[in-house]
Amino acid sequence: MKNAAIHVEGLCKEFDLLHSGYASLKGMLLWWKNKRRERLRALRDVSLSVRPGECVAVVGKNGAGKSTLLGVLARVYKPTSGRVELDGRVAPLLELGAGFHPDLTGYENVFFNGVILGLTRREVAERMDSIVAFSEIGDYIDAPVRTYSSGMLLRLGFSVAVHVDASILLVDEALAVGDIEFQQKCLKRIEEFRAGGGAILFVSHDMHAVRQAADRAVWMRSGQVIMDGPTGAVIDAYEAESGTEPTG
Amino acid sequence: MRAELRELWRYRELLIAFVVRELRIRYKNSVLGFFWSILNPLATVLVMTLVFKYVMGQQVPNYSAYILAAYLPFMFFQLSVLDASQSVLAQLPLLKKIYFPREILPIGSVIANFIHFVLAMLVFFVYLLAVWLMNPGDNPFRATVVYLPLLMALQLALSLGLALIVSALNTFYEDVKYLVSVGLYLLFFLCPIVYFSEQVWAAPGIDDSYRQTVYTLYHLNPIAMLMTGYRKIMLDPQPIPAFRGGEARHIESLPLDWGLIAVAAAVCIATLLYGYWFFNKKKWQFVERP
Repeated sequence: MKNAAIHVEGLCKEFDLLHSGYASLKGMLLWWKNKRRERLRALRDVSLSVRPGECVAVVGKNGAGKSTLLGVLARVYKPTSGRVELDGRVAPLLELGAGFHPDLTGYENVFFNGVILGLTRREVAERMDSIVAFSEIGDYIDAPVRTYSSGMLLRLGFSVAVHVDASILLVDEALAVGDIEFQQKCLKRIEEFRAGGGAILFVSHDMHAVRQAADRAVWMRSGQVIMDGPTGAVIDAYEAESGTEPTG
Repeated sequence: MRAELRELWRYRELLIAFVVRELRIRYKNSVLGFFWSILNPLATVLVMTLVFKYVMGQQVPNYSAYILAAYLPFMFFQLSVLDASQSVLAQLPLLKKIYFPREILPIGSVIANFIHFVLAMLVFFVYLLAVWLMNPGDNPFRATVVYLPLLMALQLALSLGLALIVSALNTFYEDVKYLVSVGLYLLFFLCPIVYFSEQVWAAPGIDDSYRQTVYTLYHLNPIAMLMTGYRKIMLDPQPIPAFRGGEARHIESLPLDWGLIAVAAAVCIATLLYGYWFFNKKKWQFVERP
Protein backbone atom coordinates (compact mmCIF):
# COMPACT_ATOMS: atom_id res chain seq x y z
CA MET A 1 0.00 0.00 0.00
CA LYS A 2 1.28 3.44 -0.87
CA ASN A 3 1.41 6.33 1.59
CA ALA A 4 0.99 4.14 4.65
CA ALA A 5 2.46 5.42 7.89
CA ILE A 6 3.28 1.88 8.94
CA HIS A 7 3.66 -0.82 6.36
CA VAL A 8 4.69 -4.31 7.37
CA GLU A 9 4.98 -7.17 4.94
CA GLY A 10 5.84 -10.79 5.56
CA LEU A 11 7.44 -9.95 8.88
CA CYS A 12 9.02 -12.84 10.78
CA LYS A 13 10.87 -12.68 14.05
CA GLU A 14 12.53 -15.64 15.71
CA PHE A 15 14.21 -15.75 19.10
CA ASP A 16 16.70 -18.25 20.39
CA LEU A 17 15.29 -20.07 23.34
CA LEU A 18 18.10 -21.50 25.41
CA HIS A 19 16.93 -23.91 27.98
CA SER A 20 19.36 -23.00 30.70
CA GLY A 21 19.89 -19.46 29.46
CA TYR A 22 23.39 -18.09 29.66
CA ALA A 23 23.21 -14.85 31.56
CA SER A 24 26.21 -15.97 33.63
CA LEU A 25 29.37 -17.91 32.94
CA LYS A 26 27.98 -20.73 35.07
CA GLY A 27 24.90 -20.74 32.91
CA MET A 28 27.04 -20.88 29.81
CA LEU A 29 29.02 -23.85 31.12
CA LEU A 30 25.83 -25.70 31.99
CA TRP A 31 24.41 -24.80 28.63
CA TRP A 32 27.54 -26.20 27.03
CA LYS A 33 26.78 -29.56 28.60
CA ASN A 34 23.18 -29.52 27.55
CA LYS A 35 23.20 -27.75 24.25
CA ARG A 36 19.55 -27.78 23.39
CA ARG A 37 18.54 -24.94 21.20
CA GLU A 38 15.07 -24.01 20.19
CA ARG A 39 13.76 -21.23 18.05
CA LEU A 40 10.73 -19.35 19.20
CA ARG A 41 8.83 -18.00 16.24
CA ALA A 42 7.35 -14.89 17.79
CA LEU A 43 6.09 -13.40 14.53
CA ARG A 44 5.20 -15.49 11.49
CA ASP A 45 4.57 -13.74 8.24
CA VAL A 46 2.80 -10.71 9.67
CA SER A 47 1.52 -8.10 7.23
CA LEU A 48 -0.39 -4.99 8.13
CA SER A 49 -0.67 -1.32 7.30
CA VAL A 50 -1.69 1.74 9.21
CA ARG A 51 -2.62 4.85 7.29
CA PRO A 52 -1.92 8.37 8.54
CA GLY A 53 -4.66 9.46 10.92
CA GLU A 54 -5.71 5.91 11.64
CA CYS A 55 -5.79 4.23 15.03
CA VAL A 56 -5.29 0.47 14.92
CA ALA A 57 -5.53 -1.83 17.91
CA VAL A 58 -3.72 -5.14 18.17
CA VAL A 59 -5.48 -7.70 20.34
CA GLY A 60 -4.69 -11.25 21.30
CA LYS A 61 -3.69 -13.40 24.24
CA ASN A 62 -0.41 -13.09 26.12
CA GLY A 63 2.41 -14.48 24.03
CA ALA A 64 0.62 -13.86 20.74
CA GLY A 65 3.46 -11.63 19.55
CA LYS A 66 1.83 -8.23 20.09
CA SER A 67 4.67 -6.72 22.09
CA THR A 68 7.26 -8.24 19.76
CA LEU A 69 5.49 -6.51 16.88
CA LEU A 70 5.68 -3.17 18.70
CA GLY A 71 9.34 -3.93 19.48
CA VAL A 72 10.17 -4.50 15.83
CA LEU A 73 8.35 -1.28 14.86
CA ALA A 74 10.23 0.63 17.57
CA ARG A 75 13.46 -0.79 16.05
CA VAL A 76 14.31 -2.57 19.27
CA TYR A 77 14.43 -5.92 17.48
CA LYS A 78 15.86 -6.60 14.09
CA PRO A 79 13.38 -8.55 11.99
CA THR A 80 14.48 -12.05 11.00
CA SER A 81 12.88 -11.52 7.62
CA GLY A 82 10.25 -9.37 6.00
CA ARG A 83 9.86 -5.69 5.35
CA VAL A 84 9.04 -2.84 7.71
CA GLU A 85 8.46 0.65 6.37
CA LEU A 86 7.83 3.56 8.69
CA ASP A 87 7.05 6.99 7.36
CA GLY A 88 8.02 9.58 9.93
CA ARG A 89 9.27 9.70 13.48
CA VAL A 90 8.20 6.88 15.75
CA ALA A 91 7.49 7.54 19.42
CA PRO A 92 6.92 4.56 21.67
CA LEU A 93 4.83 5.57 24.66
CA LEU A 94 7.17 4.42 27.42
CA GLU A 95 5.68 2.52 30.32
CA LEU A 96 5.41 4.00 33.76
CA GLY A 97 8.52 6.11 33.93
CA ALA A 98 10.75 3.82 31.84
CA GLY A 99 13.95 5.75 31.33
CA PHE A 100 13.24 8.00 34.29
CA HIS A 101 15.95 8.13 36.90
CA PRO A 102 14.47 8.32 40.42
CA ASP A 103 17.08 10.71 41.79
CA LEU A 104 16.73 13.27 39.04
CA THR A 105 14.02 15.92 38.98
CA GLY A 106 11.06 15.73 36.66
CA TYR A 107 12.60 18.53 34.65
CA GLU A 108 15.88 16.68 34.16
CA ASN A 109 14.10 13.47 33.26
CA VAL A 110 11.86 15.19 30.72
CA PHE A 111 14.98 16.59 29.16
CA PHE A 112 16.57 13.19 28.76
CA ASN A 113 13.37 11.49 27.64
CA GLY A 114 12.67 14.16 25.06
CA VAL A 115 16.11 13.74 23.56
CA ILE A 116 15.84 9.96 23.58
CA LEU A 117 12.56 10.32 21.65
CA GLY A 118 14.39 12.31 19.00
CA LEU A 119 14.23 15.98 19.96
CA THR A 120 17.31 18.13 20.27
CA ARG A 121 18.13 19.62 23.66
CA ARG A 122 17.04 22.99 22.38
CA GLU A 123 13.68 21.70 21.18
CA VAL A 124 13.04 20.12 24.58
CA ALA A 125 13.85 23.41 26.28
CA GLU A 126 11.45 25.25 23.99
CA ARG A 127 8.63 22.81 24.71
CA MET A 128 9.31 22.39 28.39
CA ASP A 129 6.59 24.80 29.53
CA SER A 130 4.01 23.14 27.36
CA ILE A 131 5.04 19.64 28.50
CA VAL A 132 4.86 20.62 32.16
CA ALA A 133 1.53 22.40 31.69
CA PHE A 134 -0.03 19.41 29.96
CA SER A 135 1.15 16.97 32.62
CA GLU A 136 -0.35 19.13 35.42
CA ILE A 137 2.70 18.33 37.53
CA GLY A 138 3.13 21.96 38.57
CA ASP A 139 5.92 22.78 40.96
CA TYR A 140 6.73 19.12 41.47
CA ILE A 141 8.64 19.31 38.20
CA ASP A 142 11.65 20.41 40.27
CA ALA A 143 11.34 17.53 42.73
CA PRO A 144 13.08 14.16 42.24
CA VAL A 145 10.76 11.74 40.46
CA ARG A 146 11.13 9.19 43.27
CA THR A 147 8.71 11.43 45.16
CA TYR A 148 6.11 11.19 42.37
CA SER A 149 2.98 9.10 42.51
CA SER A 150 2.49 6.56 39.74
CA GLY A 151 -0.20 8.80 38.27
CA MET A 152 2.22 11.70 38.06
CA LEU A 153 4.83 9.50 36.35
CA LEU A 154 2.27 8.35 33.81
CA ARG A 155 1.08 11.88 33.12
CA LEU A 156 4.59 13.20 32.67
CA GLY A 157 5.62 10.28 30.44
CA PHE A 158 2.52 10.71 28.29
CA SER A 159 3.05 14.43 28.07
CA VAL A 160 6.61 14.03 26.77
CA ALA A 161 5.55 11.45 24.19
CA VAL A 162 2.84 13.67 22.69
CA HIS A 163 5.18 16.65 22.47
CA VAL A 164 7.89 15.13 20.31
CA ASP A 165 6.20 15.68 16.92
CA ALA A 166 6.09 12.02 16.14
CA SER A 167 3.94 10.89 13.27
CA ILE A 168 3.63 7.33 14.58
CA LEU A 169 2.71 6.55 18.16
CA LEU A 170 3.27 3.04 19.53
CA VAL A 171 1.28 2.35 22.66
CA ASP A 172 1.55 -0.69 24.90
CA GLU A 173 -1.61 -1.07 26.99
CA ALA A 174 -2.81 2.39 27.96
CA LEU A 175 -3.92 5.00 25.48
CA ALA A 176 -5.17 7.29 28.21
CA VAL A 177 -3.66 7.54 31.65
CA GLY A 178 -4.40 9.10 35.00
CA ASP A 179 -7.79 9.95 36.46
CA ILE A 180 -10.96 10.36 34.40
CA GLU A 181 -10.34 14.03 33.83
CA PHE A 182 -6.80 13.48 32.60
CA GLN A 183 -7.90 10.55 30.48
CA GLN A 184 -10.34 12.85 28.69
CA LYS A 185 -7.47 15.21 28.05
CA CYS A 186 -5.33 12.36 26.69
CA LEU A 187 -8.08 11.25 24.34
CA LYS A 188 -8.59 14.79 23.14
CA ARG A 189 -4.88 15.09 22.48
CA ILE A 190 -4.91 11.76 20.64
CA GLU A 191 -7.76 13.07 18.48
CA GLU A 192 -5.73 16.17 17.61
CA PHE A 193 -2.75 13.98 16.86
CA ARG A 194 -4.80 11.88 14.47
CA ALA A 195 -6.41 14.91 12.88
CA GLY A 196 -2.90 16.10 12.11
CA GLY A 197 -2.20 12.86 10.25
CA GLY A 198 -0.62 10.88 13.07
CA ALA A 199 -0.94 7.10 13.06
CA ILE A 200 -1.40 5.03 16.21
CA LEU A 201 -0.79 1.35 16.75
CA PHE A 202 -1.78 0.19 20.19
CA VAL A 203 -1.77 -3.08 22.00
CA SER A 204 -4.41 -3.59 24.63
CA HIS A 205 -6.30 -6.13 26.67
CA ASP A 206 -8.95 -3.59 27.53
CA MET A 207 -11.69 -4.34 25.00
CA HIS A 208 -13.78 -1.35 26.07
CA ALA A 209 -10.91 0.97 25.27
CA VAL A 210 -10.30 -0.78 21.96
CA ARG A 211 -13.93 -0.51 20.89
CA GLN A 212 -13.94 3.13 21.88
CA ALA A 213 -10.71 4.28 20.26
CA ALA A 214 -9.74 2.01 17.39
CA ASP A 215 -10.84 2.39 13.77
CA ARG A 216 -9.61 -1.05 12.99
CA ALA A 217 -8.41 -4.05 14.96
CA VAL A 218 -5.89 -6.77 14.25
CA TRP A 219 -6.23 -10.08 16.09
CA MET A 220 -3.03 -12.03 16.60
CA ARG A 221 -2.52 -15.61 17.73
CA SER A 222 0.80 -17.50 17.96
CA GLY A 223 2.61 -14.84 16.01
CA GLN A 224 0.14 -14.75 13.15
CA VAL A 225 -2.54 -12.31 12.12
CA ILE A 226 -5.84 -14.17 12.38
CA MET A 227 -8.14 -11.33 11.48
CA ASP A 228 -7.80 -7.73 10.37
CA GLY A 229 -10.89 -5.60 9.96
CA PRO A 230 -13.43 -3.25 11.54
CA THR A 231 -13.03 -3.07 15.29
CA GLY A 232 -16.49 -4.38 16.20
CA ALA A 233 -16.29 -7.51 14.08
CA VAL A 234 -12.76 -8.43 15.12
CA ILE A 235 -13.39 -7.92 18.84
CA ASP A 236 -16.64 -9.91 18.66
CA ALA A 237 -14.81 -12.80 17.03
CA TYR A 238 -11.92 -12.60 19.49
CA GLU A 239 -14.23 -12.54 22.49
CA ALA A 240 -16.29 -15.38 21.10
CA GLU A 241 -13.19 -17.53 20.74
CA SER A 242 -11.67 -16.77 24.10
CA GLY A 243 -15.06 -17.23 25.75
CA THR A 244 -15.12 -13.96 27.64
CA GLU A 245 -18.15 -11.81 28.25
CA PRO A 246 -18.81 -9.77 25.12
CA THR A 247 -18.13 -6.09 25.72
CA GLY A 248 -19.93 -4.75 22.68
CA MET B 1 31.38 0.61 10.41
CA ARG B 2 31.01 3.95 8.63
CA ALA B 3 27.24 3.63 8.65
CA GLU B 4 27.36 2.93 12.39
CA LEU B 5 29.50 6.00 12.94
CA ARG B 6 27.12 8.14 10.94
CA GLU B 7 24.23 6.85 13.01
CA LEU B 8 26.14 7.68 16.21
CA TRP B 9 26.76 11.19 14.89
CA ARG B 10 23.06 11.56 14.15
CA TYR B 11 22.39 10.78 17.80
CA ARG B 12 25.05 13.13 19.18
CA GLU B 13 22.39 15.15 21.02
CA LEU B 14 21.46 12.04 22.96
CA LEU B 15 25.11 11.32 23.75
CA ILE B 16 25.51 14.81 25.19
CA ALA B 17 22.25 14.54 27.14
CA PHE B 18 23.37 11.17 28.47
CA VAL B 19 26.74 12.52 29.65
CA VAL B 20 25.02 15.46 31.35
CA ARG B 21 22.64 13.04 33.02
CA GLU B 22 25.47 10.80 34.25
CA LEU B 23 27.24 13.78 35.79
CA ARG B 24 24.03 14.98 37.41
CA ILE B 25 23.15 11.59 38.88
CA ARG B 26 26.56 11.24 40.45
CA TYR B 27 26.35 14.46 42.40
CA LYS B 28 22.66 14.68 42.99
CA ASN B 29 22.69 13.81 46.65
CA SER B 30 25.86 15.51 47.71
CA VAL B 31 26.46 19.17 48.30
CA LEU B 32 30.19 19.02 47.75
CA GLY B 33 29.74 17.42 44.35
CA PHE B 34 32.96 17.26 42.45
CA PHE B 35 35.08 17.62 45.56
CA TRP B 36 34.02 14.22 46.79
CA SER B 37 35.42 12.65 43.68
CA ILE B 38 38.72 14.42 44.18
CA LEU B 39 38.78 13.76 47.92
CA ASN B 40 38.99 10.03 47.33
CA PRO B 41 42.27 10.05 45.35
CA LEU B 42 43.77 12.74 47.58
CA ALA B 43 43.09 10.71 50.72
CA THR B 44 44.37 7.54 49.05
CA VAL B 45 47.55 9.22 47.92
CA LEU B 46 48.08 10.68 51.37
CA VAL B 47 47.95 7.21 52.93
CA MET B 48 50.14 5.73 50.17
CA THR B 49 52.70 8.47 50.77
CA LEU B 50 52.77 7.81 54.49
CA VAL B 51 53.14 4.07 54.05
CA PHE B 52 55.55 3.91 51.14
CA LYS B 53 57.69 6.85 52.11
CA TYR B 54 57.99 6.40 55.84
CA VAL B 55 57.46 2.68 56.28
CA MET B 56 58.83 1.20 53.06
CA GLY B 57 61.50 3.83 52.55
CA GLN B 58 60.67 5.30 49.14
CA GLN B 59 62.89 8.32 49.75
CA VAL B 60 61.99 10.54 46.82
CA PRO B 61 61.41 14.28 47.16
CA ASN B 62 57.83 15.29 46.38
CA TYR B 63 56.84 11.62 46.29
CA SER B 64 53.09 12.41 46.50
CA ALA B 65 53.21 14.26 43.19
CA TYR B 66 54.71 11.17 41.52
CA ILE B 67 51.97 8.98 42.94
CA LEU B 68 49.24 11.42 41.93
CA ALA B 69 50.61 11.76 38.40
CA ALA B 70 50.05 8.04 37.87
CA TYR B 71 47.23 7.30 40.32
CA LEU B 72 44.76 9.89 39.00
CA PRO B 73 44.90 8.52 35.45
CA PHE B 74 44.78 4.97 36.76
CA MET B 75 41.79 5.68 38.93
CA PHE B 76 39.84 7.17 36.05
CA PHE B 77 40.80 4.30 33.79
CA GLN B 78 39.49 1.91 36.42
CA LEU B 79 36.26 3.86 36.97
CA SER B 80 35.64 4.20 33.24
CA VAL B 81 35.82 0.47 32.65
CA LEU B 82 33.92 -0.50 35.80
CA ASP B 83 31.09 2.01 35.34
CA ALA B 84 30.77 1.16 31.68
CA SER B 85 30.63 -2.57 32.36
CA GLN B 86 27.22 -2.07 33.99
CA SER B 87 25.98 0.61 31.63
CA VAL B 88 24.11 -1.53 29.13
CA LEU B 89 22.71 -4.05 31.58
CA ALA B 90 21.37 -1.34 33.88
CA GLN B 91 19.40 0.22 31.02
CA LEU B 92 18.05 -3.03 29.60
CA PRO B 93 14.40 -2.20 30.39
CA LEU B 94 14.76 1.01 28.39
CA LEU B 95 16.56 -0.81 25.58
CA LYS B 96 13.58 -3.11 25.24
CA LYS B 97 11.29 -0.15 24.65
CA ILE B 98 13.05 2.23 22.37
CA TYR B 99 15.74 2.43 19.75
CA PHE B 100 18.89 4.48 20.02
CA PRO B 101 22.46 3.49 19.19
CA ARG B 102 23.30 1.22 22.10
CA GLU B 103 26.95 2.27 22.11
CA ILE B 104 25.81 5.61 23.54
CA LEU B 105 25.58 3.95 26.97
CA PRO B 106 29.19 2.78 27.42
CA ILE B 107 30.61 5.70 25.42
CA GLY B 108 28.64 8.23 27.48
CA SER B 109 29.72 6.59 30.69
CA VAL B 110 33.40 6.74 29.67
CA ILE B 111 33.09 10.37 28.55
CA ALA B 112 31.50 11.36 31.88
CA ASN B 113 34.45 9.78 33.67
CA PHE B 114 36.87 11.40 31.28
CA ILE B 115 35.46 14.83 32.13
CA HIS B 116 36.18 14.04 35.76
CA PHE B 117 39.65 13.01 34.81
CA VAL B 118 40.31 16.33 33.08
CA LEU B 119 39.04 18.24 36.13
CA ALA B 120 41.14 16.06 38.44
CA MET B 121 44.24 16.83 36.36
CA LEU B 122 43.51 20.54 36.76
CA VAL B 123 43.41 20.01 40.51
CA PHE B 124 46.72 18.17 40.19
CA PHE B 125 48.29 21.22 38.56
CA VAL B 126 46.95 23.39 41.35
CA TYR B 127 48.64 20.98 43.76
CA LEU B 128 51.95 21.28 41.87
CA LEU B 129 51.63 25.04 41.99
CA ALA B 130 50.92 24.97 45.73
CA VAL B 131 53.98 22.79 46.38
CA TRP B 132 56.07 25.17 44.32
CA LEU B 133 54.74 28.22 46.21
CA MET B 134 55.60 26.66 49.55
CA ASN B 135 58.99 25.54 48.34
CA PRO B 136 60.01 27.68 45.37
CA GLY B 137 62.53 25.98 43.18
CA ASP B 138 62.49 25.49 39.47
CA ASN B 139 59.49 26.13 37.31
CA PRO B 140 56.70 23.83 38.60
CA PHE B 141 55.68 22.75 35.10
CA ARG B 142 57.88 21.05 32.53
CA ALA B 143 57.72 21.98 28.86
CA THR B 144 56.92 18.37 27.94
CA VAL B 145 53.54 18.79 29.60
CA VAL B 146 52.36 19.66 26.07
CA TYR B 147 52.28 15.90 25.43
CA LEU B 148 49.68 15.44 28.14
CA PRO B 149 46.67 15.69 25.77
CA LEU B 150 48.25 12.98 23.60
CA LEU B 151 48.58 10.56 26.51
CA MET B 152 45.08 11.39 27.72
CA ALA B 153 43.68 10.81 24.25
CA LEU B 154 45.38 7.40 24.12
CA GLN B 155 43.97 6.54 27.53
CA LEU B 156 40.53 7.63 26.34
CA ALA B 157 40.83 5.36 23.29
CA LEU B 158 41.87 2.42 25.44
CA SER B 159 39.10 3.06 27.99
CA LEU B 160 36.48 3.34 25.25
CA GLY B 161 37.63 0.15 23.56
CA LEU B 162 37.63 -1.86 26.79
CA ALA B 163 34.34 -0.30 27.94
CA LEU B 164 32.65 -1.36 24.69
CA ILE B 165 33.96 -4.92 24.97
CA VAL B 166 33.22 -5.31 28.67
CA SER B 167 29.75 -3.75 28.56
CA ALA B 168 28.73 -6.04 25.70
CA LEU B 169 30.08 -9.15 27.40
CA ASN B 170 28.63 -8.22 30.77
CA THR B 171 25.18 -8.05 29.22
CA PHE B 172 25.38 -11.74 28.39
CA TYR B 173 27.54 -12.96 31.24
CA GLU B 174 26.89 -11.02 34.38
CA ASP B 175 30.00 -12.31 36.13
CA VAL B 176 32.23 -10.47 33.67
CA LYS B 177 32.19 -7.39 35.88
CA TYR B 178 33.63 -9.39 38.80
CA LEU B 179 36.43 -10.71 36.64
CA VAL B 180 37.07 -7.19 35.40
CA SER B 181 37.21 -5.72 38.89
CA VAL B 182 39.71 -8.39 39.98
CA GLY B 183 41.73 -7.73 36.84
CA LEU B 184 41.77 -3.99 37.47
CA TYR B 185 42.79 -4.54 41.09
CA LEU B 186 45.74 -6.68 40.02
CA LEU B 187 46.62 -4.21 37.30
CA PHE B 188 47.23 -1.61 39.98
CA PHE B 189 50.30 -3.56 41.12
CA LEU B 190 51.53 -4.07 37.58
CA CYS B 191 51.64 -0.33 36.95
CA PRO B 192 54.21 2.16 38.20
CA ILE B 193 52.02 3.92 40.75
CA VAL B 194 53.50 3.42 44.21
CA TYR B 195 56.88 2.51 42.72
CA PHE B 196 58.85 3.76 39.73
CA SER B 197 59.49 2.14 36.38
CA GLU B 198 63.23 2.55 37.10
CA GLN B 199 62.75 0.22 40.04
CA VAL B 200 61.43 -2.40 37.67
CA TRP B 201 64.54 -1.93 35.59
CA ALA B 202 66.76 -2.25 38.67
CA ALA B 203 64.71 -4.97 40.36
CA PRO B 204 66.93 -7.10 42.59
CA GLY B 205 65.56 -10.41 41.33
CA ILE B 206 66.54 -9.83 37.72
CA ASP B 207 69.81 -10.78 36.08
CA ASP B 208 71.62 -7.90 34.34
CA SER B 209 71.30 -9.48 30.91
CA TYR B 210 67.48 -9.50 31.11
CA ARG B 211 66.96 -5.96 32.36
CA GLN B 212 66.04 -4.43 29.04
CA THR B 213 63.76 -7.36 28.14
CA VAL B 214 61.86 -7.18 31.43
CA TYR B 215 61.60 -3.41 31.20
CA THR B 216 60.20 -3.66 27.68
CA LEU B 217 57.80 -6.49 28.51
CA TYR B 218 56.54 -4.57 31.53
CA HIS B 219 55.78 -1.59 29.31
CA LEU B 220 54.00 -3.56 26.64
CA ASN B 221 51.06 -3.21 29.01
CA PRO B 222 49.68 0.03 27.59
CA ILE B 223 48.41 1.24 30.95
CA ALA B 224 51.82 0.79 32.57
CA MET B 225 53.39 2.65 29.67
CA LEU B 226 50.90 5.50 29.95
CA MET B 227 51.56 5.79 33.71
CA THR B 228 55.30 5.97 33.09
CA GLY B 229 54.60 8.52 30.38
CA TYR B 230 52.44 10.76 32.59
CA ARG B 231 55.18 10.94 35.19
CA LYS B 232 57.97 11.64 32.78
CA ILE B 233 56.23 14.40 30.87
CA MET B 234 54.84 16.18 33.93
CA LEU B 235 57.47 15.78 36.62
CA ASP B 236 61.20 16.36 36.83
CA PRO B 237 63.51 13.38 36.45
CA GLN B 238 65.29 12.56 39.66
CA PRO B 239 67.45 9.77 41.05
CA ILE B 240 65.32 6.84 42.14
CA PRO B 241 66.23 4.64 45.10
CA ALA B 242 66.94 1.08 44.04
CA PHE B 243 67.19 -1.75 46.53
CA ARG B 244 69.84 -4.24 45.61
CA GLY B 245 71.82 -6.55 47.83
CA GLY B 246 70.20 -5.21 50.98
CA GLU B 247 71.47 -1.68 50.63
CA ALA B 248 69.81 1.28 49.02
CA ARG B 249 71.48 3.19 46.24
CA HIS B 250 70.15 5.63 43.69
CA ILE B 251 69.90 5.16 39.96
CA GLU B 252 69.43 7.83 37.36
CA SER B 253 66.02 8.42 35.89
CA LEU B 254 65.54 6.70 32.53
CA PRO B 255 64.38 8.80 29.57
CA LEU B 256 60.88 8.34 28.13
CA ASP B 257 61.02 5.64 25.47
CA TRP B 258 58.94 7.02 22.56
CA GLY B 259 59.20 3.71 20.77
CA LEU B 260 57.28 2.06 23.60
CA ILE B 261 54.79 4.94 23.61
CA ALA B 262 54.21 4.23 19.92
CA VAL B 263 53.55 0.57 20.71
CA ALA B 264 51.12 1.58 23.47
CA ALA B 265 49.40 3.98 21.05
CA ALA B 266 48.97 1.19 18.52
CA VAL B 267 47.49 -1.10 21.19
CA CYS B 268 45.11 1.63 22.42
CA ILE B 269 43.82 2.43 18.95
CA ALA B 270 43.53 -1.23 18.00
CA THR B 271 41.53 -1.86 21.21
CA LEU B 272 39.18 1.00 20.35
CA LEU B 273 38.61 -0.27 16.81
CA TYR B 274 38.14 -3.85 17.91
CA GLY B 275 35.84 -2.81 20.78
CA TYR B 276 33.67 -0.73 18.49
CA TRP B 277 33.43 -3.53 15.96
CA PHE B 278 32.71 -6.14 18.65
CA PHE B 279 30.01 -4.03 20.31
CA ASN B 280 28.27 -3.38 17.03
CA LYS B 281 28.33 -7.06 16.22
CA LYS B 282 26.65 -7.88 19.52
CA LYS B 283 24.35 -4.94 20.11
CA TRP B 284 21.22 -6.32 18.47
CA GLN B 285 21.35 -9.36 20.72
CA PHE B 286 21.24 -7.42 24.00
CA VAL B 287 17.44 -7.23 24.09
CA GLU B 288 17.14 -10.87 23.05
CA ARG B 289 19.23 -12.00 25.99
CA PRO B 290 17.54 -14.99 27.61
